[in-house]
Amino acid sequence: MKLALLTTDVALLGTLILVLLYFWSLRQHKLTSQRWRTVLKTPTGGSAAILLAMYVGVAGLDSLRFTAGGETFTALDKMLWSLRTQVETTYSAPLAAFGYAKETRYEAHGKVARDYPRLVYGGRHLRNPAQDRSRDLILRVARGGLLGVAGFCALLGLFKITRRCPHAPFWMPLAARRWRAQVMVIAALCVLGGVIGALAADYHLLGTDKVGSDVLYLTLKSIRTGLVLGVVSSLIALPLAVTLGISAGYLGGWVDDLVQYLYTTLSSIPGVLLIAAAALSLDLLMQQQASDFASLASRADTKLLALCLVLGLTGWTSLCRLLRAEALKLRTIEFVSAARALGGTQLQILFRHLLPNTFHLVIITTVLSFSDLVLAEAVLTYIDIGVDPSMESWGNMINGARLELAREPVVWWSLMAALCGMFGLVLAANLFADAVRDAFDPRLNNTLLAAPR
Amino acid sequence: MSLLEIQDLVIEVGAGATATSVVAGIALQVEQGCTTVLVGESGSGKSMTALGVVRLLPAAAHITRGAICLNGQDLLQLPEHQMCDVRGARIGFVFQEPQSALNPVMKVGDQIGEVLARHLGLHGKVRRERVAELLAAVGIHDPRQRMTEYPHQFSGGMKQRVMLAIALAGEPELLIADEPTTALDVSTQAQILTLLQREQQQRGMGMLFITHDLAVAYQVADKLAVMKGGILVEAGSRAEIFSAPTQAYTKHLLAVSPRIESAVVPVSRTITTDPPLLEIKGLSVTFPIRRGFFKRVVAQFAAVNALDLSVQAGETVAVVGESGSGKTSLGRSVLRLLEASAGTVSFLGQDFFRLNPAQLRHARRDLQIVFQDPYAAMNPRLTVQQIIEEGMVSLGIGGNARARITRVEQLLNLVGLEPHFRLRFPHEFSGGQRQRISIARALAVEPKLLVCDEPTSALDVSVQAQILDLLRSLQDEMGLAYLFITHNLGVVAQIAHRVVVMHHGSIVESGTTQQVLFTPTHAYTQSLLAAVPRLP
Amino acid sequence: MTAYLCRRMLYALPILLGINLLTFGLFFVVNSLDNMARMQLGERHVTQEAIEKWKHAHGYDLPLLWDATAAGTDKFTRTLFYRNSLGLFTFRFGRSDGGRDIGYDLRQRMFPSLAIALPVLLLELALATSLGLMVALLRGSYFDRWLTLGCVAAMSISSLFFIIAGQYLIAKLLRLTPISGYDDGFAAFKFLALPVLVQVAAGLGANVRWNRTVFLEEISKDYVRTAWAKGLTEKQVLWRHVLRNALLPLLTAIVVTLPSLFLGSLITESFFAVPGLGSYTIDAIQNQDFAIVRAMVFLGSCLYILGLMLTDISYAWADPRVRLAAS
Repeated sequence: MKLALLTTDVALLGTLILVLLYFWSLRQHKLTSQRWRTVLKTPTGGSAAILLAMYVGVAGLDSLRFTAGGETFTALDKMLWSLRTQVETTYSAPLAAFGYAKETRYEAHGKVARDYPRLVYGGRHLRNPAQDRSRDLILRVARGGLLGVAGFCALLGLFKITRRCPHAPFWMPLAARRWRAQVMVIAALCVLGGVIGALAADYHLLGTDKVGSDVLYLTLKSIRTGLVLGVVSSLIALPLAVTLGISAGYLGGWVDDLVQYLYTTLSSIPGVLLIAAAALSLDLLMQQQASDFASLASRADTKLLALCLVLGLTGWTSLCRLLRAEALKLRTIEFVSAARALGGTQLQILFRHLLPNTFHLVIITTVLSFSDLVLAEAVLTYIDIGVDPSMESWGNMINGARLELAREPVVWWSLMAALCGMFGLVLAANLFADAVRDAFDPRLNNTLLAAPR
Repeated sequence: MSLLEIQDLVIEVGAGATATSVVAGIALQVEQGCTTVLVGESGSGKSMTALGVVRLLPAAAHITRGAICLNGQDLLQLPEHQMCDVRGARIGFVFQEPQSALNPVMKVGDQIGEVLARHLGLHGKVRRERVAELLAAVGIHDPRQRMTEYPHQFSGGMKQRVMLAIALAGEPELLIADEPTTALDVSTQAQILTLLQREQQQRGMGMLFITHDLAVAYQVADKLAVMKGGILVEAGSRAEIFSAPTQAYTKHLLAVSPRIESAVVPVSRTITTDPPLLEIKGLSVTFPIRRGFFKRVVAQFAAVNALDLSVQAGETVAVVGESGSGKTSLGRSVLRLLEASAGTVSFLGQDFFRLNPAQLRHARRDLQIVFQDPYAAMNPRLTVQQIIEEGMVSLGIGGNARARITRVEQLLNLVGLEPHFRLRFPHEFSGGQRQRISIARALAVEPKLLVCDEPTSALDVSVQAQILDLLRSLQDEMGLAYLFITHNLGVVAQIAHRVVVMHHGSIVESGTTQQVLFTPTHAYTQSLLAAVPRLP
Repeated sequence: MTAYLCRRMLYALPILLGINLLTFGLFFVVNSLDNMARMQLGERHVTQEAIEKWKHAHGYDLPLLWDATAAGTDKFTRTLFYRNSLGLFTFRFGRSDGGRDIGYDLRQRMFPSLAIALPVLLLELALATSLGLMVALLRGSYFDRWLTLGCVAAMSISSLFFIIAGQYLIAKLLRLTPISGYDDGFAAFKFLALPVLVQVAAGLGANVRWNRTVFLEEISKDYVRTAWAKGLTEKQVLWRHVLRNALLPLLTAIVVTLPSLFLGSLITESFFAVPGLGSYTIDAIQNQDFAIVRAMVFLGSCLYILGLMLTDISYAWADPRVRLAAS
């Protein structure tokens, strides 16, 4: 088994490590770490952070890519091996034991029968699905739920041990008012995880798609695509926005004129059109070099990277504008004047004073734009300039649903799974962004100045 | 029965276990036709008390106990809609910040007329007449024209007059003025104070006047109440409080309030007659005014206009002026934080304006600056150690990291702070402590001259006195020279050897502190001195 | 005012030129024309002659920026940049790669787009402002908290969901409106109702939240406290003072988008088969018709710049502190 990371894998894992390093380095910065703690303390912010961590964890596992025996798979694939390999022939409804449409079957005596076929994998342990299925499902939900509760209790116990508070009862965090929402979210996730695990073991929990792949598996795999898009695009946009914005605001003069011209020009073009134009152009370029790619996966990966590049290169303007305005304000603030009076060079002032003091804007804007990027993926894929059709993504799942909804009976599970998966991530990101803004925006901090009521 | 009677008022901020009381059970009276002044330093709860009377506290604060009786009627028991009939009609309110207290997109006349319509039911022509009368009464010329203008067309003092007209429009029995002159210049302050007193006496209103300035209090008060930390320290008639204060805090406040008359004129040992340390010749700072199609420069606004000034080693020269006089531009252009358009600044004979950027960085070592706002003067993300050693690091002096730590500890000692503070962040300190850190930062590179740009005007009087003490003792020990920029003539009397008075970018008068403060020759200086409120 | 407008026009020129250079670079420099021809002709097995023929037929057989072989001004005018990019400045859009007259198409498709976008804008404005004001009135209450949370939730739902769910629920299950299509005149109403509804729903979350923020920021200002101190009732304070000031940023934010209403909305039009500019653009993107994409980029930018100009004018009109001449 050999590690075989693609470019986006490296980018995603690298960013994860960078973020972890950032939080590690915060131990020395009281002010900032206190603000992050405030983020985690608010019920919505803390819950959103937990949910986001789940998503990031799945995406991280899905980026650890290996090759073995001519096959490429990720750590997530390895964990969900049965989901990956248990492929039906075509659509099947969630938790079904029978196919979704009647099929013609030729039996031994030349008899032709037309009815719903048994699925190859879904509910195959049942002897008589029509009778046993509901009882089996209820049992599994109960068993999974209990397992989840047990897991949650184990977590609480672990918490008690690591916190070294031997006298408190182990369920203490449940009673602590301050962390109640966060603890509840963890409990819910534990129970949900238990139930999903129990059901997904022998059923297709969310059904299967046109070629029989498990929809739960596809939904989980799509997380990585969404996150890569959000993270890598931001990663490309950030350095541009930060260097250009801050230097324009601080240095002024022709640098300012040039940067202003650049972002006015770019932001004059309606967003989707600019992205479409750039994506089309890059797409065409890649089509001509199609033979250069080693595999379909690496081609899809490059296309994803190109999309990130386009989104990044077109998405830096709003942050740049904000940073320029902030740097203009900071340029005349007294500690910057003092630094100049103390003989600081331009570079020293930029790095010591301007950059750290605009960082909250960078964080707020990045977290906010992340959810937009995840949502954009679906729209762009819908107009054929998004991710490669061969790649698992929510956009592709939704795109496919256009035809599925016209079928009779309606195939709704793919669409719903994609929308819910996306909704969870974007909601978590939005709530997290709100909490981050509340904690970091100095304007909002002064509650004493709030309106009379 | 008093007009306003506050009994056992408690105001808390926050809720539940984290609630803290900002006003802790005070009692206060305002009599008909008299002025009660509430004096206190920042955080004393005086503004909260004023806002509490009209029940306009910020969302986080609330009244938890007490009674506020206006003519015997407890305002705290009134339902909100009845309280609306009290505000504006029976109680007029003047706020501190005239710049933001008026609606920017509403005509001034309409803002006053609104009160007339709400409480007196006046409309149409009658209302317009009444608005014009009110504006004329608060001393605004050509009221018929000006009532159709917007707030941004008025100066700060004029806005405060409009604010007063709004407060008076409902013909209130009680006027509450919350630091009404703090944001204004001395001469404007004098006008507004006179106006307030005149209106109060003519209308026979009671007035609750909030201020931090004892001299202002002395001028307007019939009765005084001194607050500290939410508690009423002492209350009594003006004569009692000023001539025979009983509480230590009141005595202390009186002692530290700067007085012009008691100018100490510290003739320092270190003054020499050698060639000056800093010599400014013909200095002009101009800002272009751009207009028209291509934003051409159509005129130059001269913030500083052909100014000459010199500072000897070990001497304090105070630059005094009102806002817009160009004193701040002067201070910054001396350090070349602001580029001057003409003139020379020579320091120890070296022409400052001819230096290239690299030379300038090193030359600035001799010349440092302390700013006004203790909150904006320090990067909130650095520790005190990093802040103080900044100059040493960027100029490459002060040795290695270990030597710098020792030096920072020394400096903290020097400015009267604990050495172990060096590991803390700025937000953990009070305004006065921050100003001490700012001074330590400037001293770290061993300058010969310190430009002090209003270093005490954001501080409470008691803290101000400490900082002035510190500056004086540093001068004695190290022979520092100060270019001390301020608007406060009382502070000048405490610290300066020589004074220059600036007006519209030029020096109108200069001389020793004694000469300028006691025998001013220029009319502007005389009017400035006349406008300063005095303590007995 | 006139001087201001002239200056803004002059400022717009370099920006439009930059946009032209950008699209020109994307489509002609990053990609060779041969690539484009090969793709239009069907990828592989295309002879060089066929490529040349295609290029000639579409007028693409010219040098990029400079023709050294030509004489006089032809050196500049007989180039791709002059013909294909600078022509846009006079709103000559030329022919699409499919051979249709782009200018004609644009004129035809503008109005269906507007027929959706304008009602959406008005409905959205009315709904979002009144909801925002309501939340501001009840600030700090449970209603406020839950509505804000609801807004965040609504923002987190993909706009595709609203379209698909709307189409499925209202058109397919309830059969209240046709699933998709368009008709001229008043008959268009029944076709437009659903797309308008769907788009209003999709934008409501973000808009209500934004309005709430603006209102709350305004309410915490000093002059509002003055208004309270005058003894005005809550209604008077909100209507006379807060709303008037808060509408400034809200209205001007809308003015920017006014000209762009002609462009319609990409996804909605495409999903509901409305023959507007949005679906036109999507078709062009899907058919990789670069001439149309170029034209749309230029048109979109022009309309946006026009919107910025209108914003400034409306600001000067609405806010007494702003004067155009003095800036």
